[in-house]
Amino acid sequence: MNATAKHPLLVVGAGIAGVTAAIEAAEAGREVILLESEPSIGGRVVRNFQYFPKLCPPTCGMEINIKRIERNPRIRVLTQTQVTKASADAQGWQVTLTRKPQYINDNCTACGECEKVCTTKVPDPVNLGLSQVPAARLYHKDAWPKQYVLDKAACPQSDLDAVAGACKYNAVDLNAQPTEETLAVSAVVVATGWKPYPLQNLTNLGAGKLSDVISNAHMERLAVKAGPTAGKILRPSDGQPPKKVAFVQCAGSRDVNHLPYCSGVCCLASLKQATYVREQIPESEVTIYYIDRRTPGRNEDLLLKVAGMEGVKMIKGKVGAIETQNNSLKLKVEDVEAGKLIEADADLVVLATGMVPNLKDDMKVFDLPKDSDGFGLDNPDKKIFVAGVTRRPEDVAASVRDATGAAAKACVAQGSQGGL
Amino acid sequence: MASHLEIVPSSEWRKKLHDRGGAPVTRCFQCATCCSVCKLAPEEQPFPRRQMLWSQWGLSDRMASDPGLWLCHQCNDCTTHCPRDARPGDILQAARSLAVERLAVPGFLGKLVGNAKSTWPILLGIPFLFWVAALYAVNGLTIPESPLVYDRLVPHWLIYAVFFSVTGFILITAGAGAIKFWNQIGRDKPRQGSFIGSLIPVLMDIAFHGRFGKCDTAKSRKWGHFALLWGFVLAAVASAFIIVAMYILMEELPLPFWHPFKIIGNVAAVFLVVGGFMVLQNRLRQDKPAGNATAYDNFFLSVVLMVVITGVLTEVGRYLMHPELASWIYILHLTSVLSLFVTFPFSKFAHLIYRTLAMVHERMTIKS
Amino acid sequence: MDKVGLFLCTGCEIGAAINTENIEELAKERGAKFFANHPCLCSEEGINLIHNAVENDGLNGLCIAACSHREKTEEFRVNPLKISMERVCLREQVAWTHKPNDEDTQMLAEDLLKMGLARIAKNELPAASQETIDRTVLVVGAGLAGLQAARAAAGMGHPVVLVEKQAKLGGYLNRVKTLVPEKPPYDSPHPNNLADIVAEVEDHKTIKIFKGSKIKSIQGQPGQFDVVVQTASGEENFKAGAVIQATGAKPYDADKLSHLGYGKSPRVITSHELEDLMSQGGLKTPLPGRVVFIQCAGSRDEKHLRYCSGECCATTLKQVATLHASHPQVECAVMYRDFRAPGQLEHFYASVQEKTGCMFTRGEVESVETLDGDKLRIQMQNSLLGEQVSLEADMVVLATGMVPVSADGEAIRELQDARVRINKNESATQVEEAKKIEAKNIHHEGTEILNLHYRQGPDMPVLSYSFPDSHYICFPYETRRTGIYAAGTLRAPMDAAQASEDGWGAAMKAVQCIEANTHGMAVHPRAGDTSIASFFLQRCTQCKRCTEECPFGTLNEDKKGTPEYFPLRCRRCGICLGACPERIISFPEYSVDSVASMIKAIEVPEEDEEKPRMIALLCENDAIPALDQAAGRRMQWNPWIRIIPVRCLGAVNTVWIADSLSRGIDGVILIGCKSGDDYQCHYIRGSELAKTRMTNVQETLDRLTLESERVQVHELSHNEFHRIPELLDAFAETIEQVGPNPYKGF
Repeated sequence: MNATAKHPLLVVGAGIAGVTAAIEAAEAGREVILLESEPSIGGRVVRNFQYFPKLCPPTCGMEINIKRIERNPRIRVLTQTQVTKASADAQGWQVTLTRKPQYINDNCTACGECEKVCTTKVPDPVNLGLSQVPAARLYHKDAWPKQYVLDKAACPQSDLDAVAGACKYNAVDLNAQPTEETLAVSAVVVATGWKPYPLQNLTNLGAGKLSDVISNAHMERLAVKAGPTAGKILRPSDGQPPKKVAFVQCAGSRDVNHLPYCSGVCCLASLKQATYVREQIPESEVTIYYIDRRTPGRNEDLLLKVAGMEGVKMIKGKVGAIETQNNSLKLKVEDVEAGKLIEADADLVVLATGMVPNLKDDMKVFDLPKDSDGFGLDNPDKKIFVAGVTRRPEDVAASVRDATGAAAKACVAQGSQGGL
Repeated sequence: MASHLEIVPSSEWRKKLHDRGGAPVTRCFQCATCCSVCKLAPEEQPFPRRQMLWSQWGLSDRMASDPGLWLCHQCNDCTTHCPRDARPGDILQAARSLAVERLAVPGFLGKLVGNAKSTWPILLGIPFLFWVAALYAVNGLTIPESPLVYDRLVPHWLIYAVFFSVTGFILITAGAGAIKFWNQIGRDKPRQGSFIGSLIPVLMDIAFHGRFGKCDTAKSRKWGHFALLWGFVLAAVASAFIIVAMYILMEELPLPFWHPFKIIGNVAAVFLVVGGFMVLQNRLRQDKPAGNATAYDNFFLSVVLMVVITGVLTEVGRYLMHPELASWIYILHLTSVLSLFVTFPFSKFAHLIYRTLAMVHERMTIKS
Repeated sequence: MDKVGLFLCTGCEIGAAINTENIEELAKERGAKFFANHPCLCSEEGINLIHNAVENDGLNGLCIAACSHREKTEEFRVNPLKISMERVCLREQVAWTHKPNDEDTQMLAEDLLKMGLARIAKNELPAASQETIDRTVLVVGAGLAGLQAARAAAGMGHPVVLVEKQAKLGGYLNRVKTLVPEKPPYDSPHPNNLADIVAEVEDHKTIKIFKGSKIKSIQGQPGQFDVVVQTASGEENFKAGAVIQATGAKPYDADKLSHLGYGKSPRVITSHELEDLMSQGGLKTPLPGRVVFIQCAGSRDEKHLRYCSGECCATTLKQVATLHASHPQVECAVMYRDFRAPGQLEHFYASVQEKTGCMFTRGEVESVETLDGDKLRIQMQNSLLGEQVSLEADMVVLATGMVPVSADGEAIRELQDARVRINKNESATQVEEAKKIEAKNIHHEGTEILNLHYRQGPDMPVLSYSFPDSHYICFPYETRRTGIYAAGTLRAPMDAAQASEDGWGAAMKAVQCIEANTHGMAVHPRAGDTSIASFFLQRCTQCKRCTEECPFGTLNEDKKGTPEYFPLRCRRCGICLGACPERIISFPEYSVDSVASMIKAIEVPEEDEEKPRMIALLCENDAIPALDQAAGRRMQWNPWIRIIPVRCLGAVNTVWIADSLSRGIDGVILIGCKSGDDYQCHYIRGSELAKTRMTNVQETLDRLTLESERVQVHELSHNEFHRIPELLDAFAETIEQVGPNPYKGF
């Protein structure tokens, strides 16, 4: 057992890649610290309704992962925590972890009394701002750790007093301060994930100003039971179920004016979302406008399934413009196979936007090598590795594969088995 | 199977296209953004996506017989939005130059003008040498004394002899090209209605630049092009009026500045200068030019500017310059005019014919 | 457990919803040695209360009546080898979801407490593991994935044995000179550095390599596999802790693609044959004027491979780039259906287009004909160039997909079983049937790779398209054989970069399995579980249901057909327990008896009280979390239903249904995960088996003239919390309509 093996591995980001990397290493006997900047682990995947191509709920796999974390004494999970300083040395890294003040601490039993008395509402980040939630709340209903959060800055004193007064379990600490801890870690896996490409940049596709032109990330929230519409797919403008839904592929992807790469998941996301619409609104018509239908591997099954569904059309052609006309949306596109320009009507448009790696602007503390798109590269000399969408645009299955591999690389960098 | 259409790629044509600024076509991945952002593309068989594909494959026959190629006004909305920076506006422009070359009668002139990148010294040098030789033969290239009367340097009869025959040449060659073109584009779709009936609204559209106004990216180019077009029209009118003034009204040359015909001529010059500079500036101004200029383009624009500049200098040179200098400027003016005239059916100027015909064809094939 | 304490939490509305006064009495009546309640049991004070009681009263069983067993797990953690714990869910299942201070609510809470106490009384402590575990990782197949797996496992400090059937390491990539770009700027082919990796592996001190060798047999269980390798010179025997199968993929058989001209002209070759040509010095003269690449040759095609191999488009780009670099005069064209260069390979696509001027068009290639001379003609439909077009070419390259080199262990077993029956020749119909099975599976003969000595066949079972995986989205390396992991193109079509990652990932899993075994713990999904099953074999009737139905092939059979249990293969799902008609299989904390005792603990009111009683058996992986979600939203449902969490619906023994009905319980509803091709069952076949078993139960009920509606099976996804009250209420309504169980009071 060499000296460095005593220091834990650090996994930054607890989305599906980070969670996987942490568990896989911990179950192989390594000490692991798993950091998450949000109040709950799960990242992007737990915001989704279903995974493609099996159309199964992401929380199902996450349930197992959470059980694995809970059963494993070697994983320490720190939510609302970020790395604020880091320096590499021969043994690995010295890192400073800063944790946001825990105004509601782990005495919380999630009984919900504080939520009942809290009158301040804030936009719900889990619902991508599509709805308002009380400032004192469970981050989302499947949140883990199951510990309420309080948006203190948003609340007037009266609300804060009410929240503190409602708690019977001594879990509200309005004077909580940020905490800092500096420690040595032997290797780092960065899995900080991604954010959707902003609609505002897509000037010819409504620039985020047309309320019924939404992103694929929004669509997941509309379809999920825990979402802002309780799982009903409704037009944001008037709350009515849409009759004609258009999916615009490569919205800001494979485009030198936006993201020059393909995110590799948006075709499948739209196919999956087409099934949501068709199953929920039987009279709906769904049209998917694409350049190439990219469904590699067994994902082809989903393409075949959706292509064979009644009420679903796929048209080769990238949408060039979306305009409003008499309360409806008009899409300008060439139906390439027919060789015709069409002005298609839609009452809900889903823009299949791609992934922007958070690494592009974040995590400067590690000074990771990056490519021109902002994706990270391993640096084995400095014992730092990337996983999931930090490495490349990819789907959940690939992220898990990658993250398991990254965990192995970190273990090797850490030195031979340290034992339990 | 007989029903299969044989695809015959021409690598030679592709190479030519690339040489003329069409190389970015290789990057196209057929997403069809270009068609959907184009304000001018017709509903059926919109351009420029198909033309991009044919250009990638070197399908020169299809390109030559395609009206869409000419319906494009190169406003470059497509180029601005192209996700691959494949520059459809430039590609179609380059393809048009190849189409002009292919339609050219006689062919060698088409090639000569088409390759203006390397042949421009010939295209300007021969007219210059022609004038020098002609003047030498007529009057030993004697520079007249002040006050300068250009008639003494270049007699009117010589001008008529040269330009009337050149006009005849233009009419024949351009007409031959036009007929060839008209027949080729008519192959795939039957036309309906009368030619003239369709021509009139097309000319109206051209006169007011209705189509040009629809573009986003090159909005400012509309007015430059508008000024250029009307500059040429007015210049032609002024030239015709000069003949009227000389032989019908029997007026003394040079006409005084206040003379209406002279005013028309000067307005034409102003239009051409302003238009020329607007177009040029539009190209240079943008950080990422929406349309790249090619040698073929530049040759045409340079000759036009040369005609105007030497024309204006000729006009003022008479009073302000040394007769020798003014005379040589006048010879240069004649050189550029001759070059512009002779290359008319083969230069960018030819779009006047082909685009007009394509627009007429479009009108005659639209289903009512 | 004999020294049980009941700890009642009265916080989170529990105290307000039920009358807790007589609970102590109830606890003592039901055998608890200790009782305490606390307004916040999970607080430091509450936890201390528990610990003190354990210390002072010597408790070995804790019955925690508080929130769901999914909450506060860290606070309530105990040493599972010393103390057994049962959680009774009074918050989510009672206080939050039923009318407070109602008679029915009170009865529900008391029933749940009685059930919890009944169960913990039956619980036993798991015995600490005593197994000797070998740390060696066996890697089968030395292609890129296998080589990387060997490096990774060795790097993590494990001895590795690498077995390769070819005389040379490297696998498919030996045929390949360059790879698609893996590093920025992703614009040109990447040199194939296979030789470096091979050299590193060959020089590695702790990696033992057998080339030109095959696995002759693998016996035993993870941590203790006895491996026999057949080498050219003889047999090698050794132990291994875990296995990584990385036997790769082979190109799709191009002989089936005669419509694309393969086999009709030497100028029609596959992309793999082009790789060979290019690594042997390029195209032969006279050079072709035009080479046409046809994508999806035999892929995305109902008649051939239905799936997309995902890497052929990028490989074609690479081949075009390489061809153009060495022979710029050769014109290239690519015919695709959808051009698939996902991710940052888009940069490569753009760069190859730009650098080579290669012509691309979308379209469906119909045929490739051989013309006079050396020309070929490609006919294409619905292409961007026209509806029906043809193009001449001098050479055609068919981009064929990949087929995993897997062996279908189950099919092989079926074939062997059929042959046994044919040889026995017991009855004509049996022989005929067996012959049909033999014919169906004959093509699997001789395909064995791992030669496992497993009841369920000599290789891993395969799922769709012959990939031996089990949960390819969330847990891509998991297979249906514990301690045996699939890596590389064997488990999914992928490119070299991905296969390389895959090798690392699979090594992580193998190392992890060895670690878990060392500590007597189960691997995924019940990672960390230290209990193992016990078999009371004296009562076994050799019915073989357990050996056949275990999704992980845990059980072998001896000659008589008696199950042989391999605890290190076991995932503790309990499906064997559900299968056993003799009820002889038990886990220390989950047994037929313990659940039966819970059922017995339920008070069943008399018929005239008009209070039916129903049992809901809910899968703890998806249905219970959904119920907790519903409770978190304060949804309400019928209070006459008693919920019993089960490990998996497959771990439900039908005797529990019989017990329930014979005790006068009016109905039993089972809610589990989705079955079928896109199953969500973490144990793959659990919910499917439950469905079949319950269909049999329903048939029995019909025979007994008991209404079959009394037993229902439903599927539910983890995120369908809203369906919990719907399903339970609808079931209760059905039962009310059907009327009371006629066995009530007997």
